[in-house]
Amino acid sequence: MMNDTLVRIDNLSKSFREGDTERVIFRELRVIIRQGEFVVLLGRSGSGKSTLLNLLSGIDQPTSGAVIIGQQNLTGLSEHQRTLFRREHIGFIFQFYNLIPTLTVMENLLLPLELIGTAGAEAERQARDMLGEVELADRADSYPDRLSGGEQQRVAIARALIHRPQLLLADEPTGNLDAETGQQVLALLSRLARENRMTTLMVTHSLDVARLADRILTIRDGQLREDDVPKDRL
Amino acid sequence: MILWRAGFRYLLRHPLQILFAVVGVALGVAVVVAIDLANSSADRAFRLSAEAVSGRASHQIIASSAGLPETVYQQLRLAGKWRASAPIVEGFAAVPGQPGLTLRILGIDPFAEGPFRTYSPGIGRGSDFSRLLSEPGAGLMTAATARKLGVKNGAELPLLIAGEERSVTFIGLLEPRDQVGSRALENLLLVDIATAQELLGKLGRLSRIDLILPEGDAGRRSLQQLQQFLPAGAEVITADRRGQSMAQMTRAFQLNLTALSLLALMVGMFLIYNTMTFSVLQRRPLLGALRTLGVTRGEIFRLVLVEAVLIGLLGTLLGLMLGILLANGLLALVTRTINDLYFVLNVRSLALTPLSLGKGVLLGLGATVAAAFVPALEAARTAPRSVLSRSTIEGRQRRLLPWAVGSGCGLMLISCAGLMIPSKSIPASFILMFMLITGYALVTPGTAVWLLRRLQPLLKRSFGMLGKMAARNLVAGLSRTGVATAALVIAVAATIGVGLMIGSFRVTVESWLHSYLQADIYVTTESDGFGPGRTPLKKELLERFQEIPGIERITRARHLKLESQDGISELFVAEIPPASFAGYWFAEGDRQQIYQAFSSAEAVIVSEPYAYRRNLQRGDLLTLRTDQGEKQFRIAGVFTDYGSDQGRITMRRQLYEKYWQEPQTDALGIYLSDSAASADLVQQLSRAAADIQQLVIYSNQDLREASLATFDRTFAVTSVLRLLAVLVAFVGILNALMAMQIERSRELAILRAGGLTPQQLWTLVTGETGLIGLLAGLLAVPLGIAQALVLILVINRRSFGWSMQIAIDPLILLQAVLLAFGAALLAGLYPAWRMARTQPALALREE
Ligand SMILES: Nc1ncnc2c1ncn2[C@@H]1O[C@H](COP(=O)(O)OP(=O)(O)OP(=O)(O)O)[C@@H](O)[C@H]1O
Ligand SMILES: [Mg+2]
Repeated sequence: MMNDTLVRIDNLSKSFREGDTERVIFRELRVIIRQGEFVVLLGRSGSGKSTLLNLLSGIDQPTSGAVIIGQQNLTGLSEHQRTLFRREHIGFIFQFYNLIPTLTVMENLLLPLELIGTAGAEAERQARDMLGEVELADRADSYPDRLSGGEQQRVAIARALIHRPQLLLADEPTGNLDAETGQQVLALLSRLARENRMTTLMVTHSLDVARLADRILTIRDGQLREDDVPKDRL
Repeated sequence: MILWRAGFRYLLRHPLQILFAVVGVALGVAVVVAIDLANSSADRAFRLSAEAVSGRASHQIIASSAGLPETVYQQLRLAGKWRASAPIVEGFAAVPGQPGLTLRILGIDPFAEGPFRTYSPGIGRGSDFSRLLSEPGAGLMTAATARKLGVKNGAELPLLIAGEERSVTFIGLLEPRDQVGSRALENLLLVDIATAQELLGKLGRLSRIDLILPEGDAGRRSLQQLQQFLPAGAEVITADRRGQSMAQMTRAFQLNLTALSLLALMVGMFLIYNTMTFSVLQRRPLLGALRTLGVTRGEIFRLVLVEAVLIGLLGTLLGLMLGILLANGLLALVTRTINDLYFVLNVRSLALTPLSLGKGVLLGLGATVAAAFVPALEAARTAPRSVLSRSTIEGRQRRLLPWAVGSGCGLMLISCAGLMIPSKSIPASFILMFMLITGYALVTPGTAVWLLRRLQPLLKRSFGMLGKMAARNLVAGLSRTGVATAALVIAVAATIGVGLMIGSFRVTVESWLHSYLQADIYVTTESDGFGPGRTPLKKELLERFQEIPGIERITRARHLKLESQDGISELFVAEIPPASFAGYWFAEGDRQQIYQAFSSAEAVIVSEPYAYRRNLQRGDLLTLRTDQGEKQFRIAGVFTDYGSDQGRITMRRQLYEKYWQEPQTDALGIYLSDSAASADLVQQLSRAAADIQQLVIYSNQDLREASLATFDRTFAVTSVLRLLAVLVAFVGILNALMAMQIERSRELAILRAGGLTPQQLWTLVTGETGLIGLLAGLLAVPLGIAQALVLILVINRRSFGWSMQIAIDPLILLQAVLLAFGAALLAGLYPAWRMARTQPALALREE
């Protein structure tokens, strides 16, 4: 059972200092996410969803507590080590500004591979396959600003998955898109995540999305609660 | 490397910004390299000709500039102890039809030459060399020199020596053994000693005697014996000492040029700093995204630094090419100044030494890396996914502001305190001045924000909402505005500082000339003012002049150079009537008392630079080597004099005649009973002199104008440097402000989308850049004045010992402010045009 655990959050607290006042976002969170799970994170605006994702990826540091991914305790790592950990094990998708504007679609996909040391023909092949998966094979040489919002998010998904990270973090990846496109992108995301047996934690506001999840976590008043997945999913 | 591509494509997408940064570095490097090349080429030419002429001599016997009596050499030979000795008569000649070319005439004794100089394989073995002896008026030159002058073997070569027409017969070739030798022998005319004496009007006199003394104890003993043997007026100095003291003469001048060129580089550095800071600020989202993907801080730091190095490399390469071109132009100016002020120097070609070019590369790259270091650090500090919003960045900048202002003030205080400490170190003064500039730059953003806040209501009243918005945008965008303004202020201030310094200097010299030149007419011999002493006036002249009616009084003067082991000093022997003495400026002491001492006691007066260089004060004793041995003279006063940066000693004529045996005169001051008649008298004088000697006759006003012309020539180099600084400043303003506006493309697009017409956009953008330009121009004024003060009160005084009046020409200030304002308006045009033209939708999509 223990071997199944990918993410362990232990007594995690986070507060922000603004001038003299200290604002507590959440205190002593505890949760476990298992290998291959597709977890949705809900919560009101400002409840701390993005903050939690940032802590999980090591972009931000907790006030106290620990984030353990695999065997690795992120809080024990230096900034540099966390960065190296991130490039290897974590994939990220945001609401917008995911892609590097000065790189073509193809190059955007190649970049994470290059960072972990994969290059050359093999990298190209992987990138082409991945682009095929998101049905954008013909846009490999376009720059991101030539793509529509939905297309950009599809590239972002491809890029987040291309180096087969252990954990995929998505922060409202469809918040920027119309409902229908959002649905398509989301379907693609969950299909690819499941096919690749990728552990996913996704922030969203939409209950529709929540139906796709294995589990639903909700942040409220600085606490994390497990909710039931809406029944009509089945 | 895909990561690098992400960075470089960004640069490629902003070609104008990069172009300007490259041009900025290039101009900075070009100025430094050009000055260095010009200086080192002049030095090299000087060294080569000094080597060629002194040959293998270890010591030289010299006397006052009137020369050494020939008999000294004969006695030396007779004494038999100093076999390795050779007499030299040296001088300079112009060649009719070859303006700007000066031939060095070297008169030698072919029999004595052997051990000293090996010009040709034929030396000492008969051939051409012995014909020098047998054929009076014969001379040798290198083939290259002969070709340049267009003379054939056996032909007459006409010469102009001190305005007199002479000639020599060109009878054979000097054959240098190698490339270096041929450079050294350029423009040299080798003649027999008797011929040289005849040509140069130095009958019975030698310029010097070259010696080779053995090394070690034997040499020391030999030297002692020699010193006892020599007559009182002669002195032995080491041969290299002589070259050193001549090189020293130009050192301060060259150092000043170097420092000014560094100022241009510093302005260039700010351009790079500005460009790199902007490119980092603009790319914050991109850098944040990269960080999220797992790009480390080190990698980002390196990315930005390598970009800067590439810009620096490009700029440096361009700068080297530009510098070499520029050096060719500057070389002429530098050489002319050296010829005007110091000694004859023929610099025909630029010596492209790897050292000069290497220095340029090092400075260019070093400056770039130094300037990019902070922006690169800033880039590396970007949080992943830029957790920080733009307003937090600005917030941090605002919190840093008091620190910047504080440390800027601190730096300025330290610099001021440092400048107060009396010292003679010129490099230290420049470092302190650069500290002052940096300190001011740090304070600038704070001041700019403060001023803009005050301006907001006014702008709103005059230009409505747009006016207010312009000012508010600038305050809100402090991180960019601050850097840009500081860069502009430094660039503009540099032009003000140098401009005011030259202006003050000129005003001072002008009023000094007015006071110092008291006679109505000045007469001197036609000499170029260089070489050891001027050609004496013929005796008959004076007699004839005295008969001309309307002349009240004639004073006689003599310009001499006293050479000794510790350098060369100018001795001015004069008859100064009390009324003229009133034209001398003394920093301290009672003029009446000084005159009393000067005109009756064993006392002299010395000029400020002279006193400064030798740490002398009023009342000190000065030791001079006279024809009767060493004598001490009391310094009665220290007077202001801009005629020579080496300084001069002025001595009453009777006193001179008491200790020196050469009662010649080379200049006259003529006082008229009616000053208004001077033009008329000049005519009469030149008619009277026509059949006796070639003379230069100046009316008081003419001489003043001629002196100012020399002054302007001296500062031609500086003016060129100032112009270049203006150019760099202009490019800098363009660059900084354009970058700022282009960076706001998105923001402007939102405004456009929100209903701002293209017209209003133009107003807003040019209004903003214009406002910054104006602000920078105004803020540059205090710094510019401070820089001028440092240049005048500290640097010129430490370099030359000159004290100057301070004249702040409002025109220069106005020019600078207009320069900043104009360039700033211009900088707004392109972004405004670009933004007004593009569809807002397109701009919104970009990045
Ligand atoms: N760097 C920061 N400094 C201060 N407060 C912060 C910072 N980052 C986030 N916060 C605060 O922490 C709280 C949680 O922010 P977070 O971005 O995690 O919310 P969220 O749940 O993602 O909201 P949304 O659904 O609107 O994206 C907010 O109140 C926010 O103001
Ligand atoms: Mg959020």
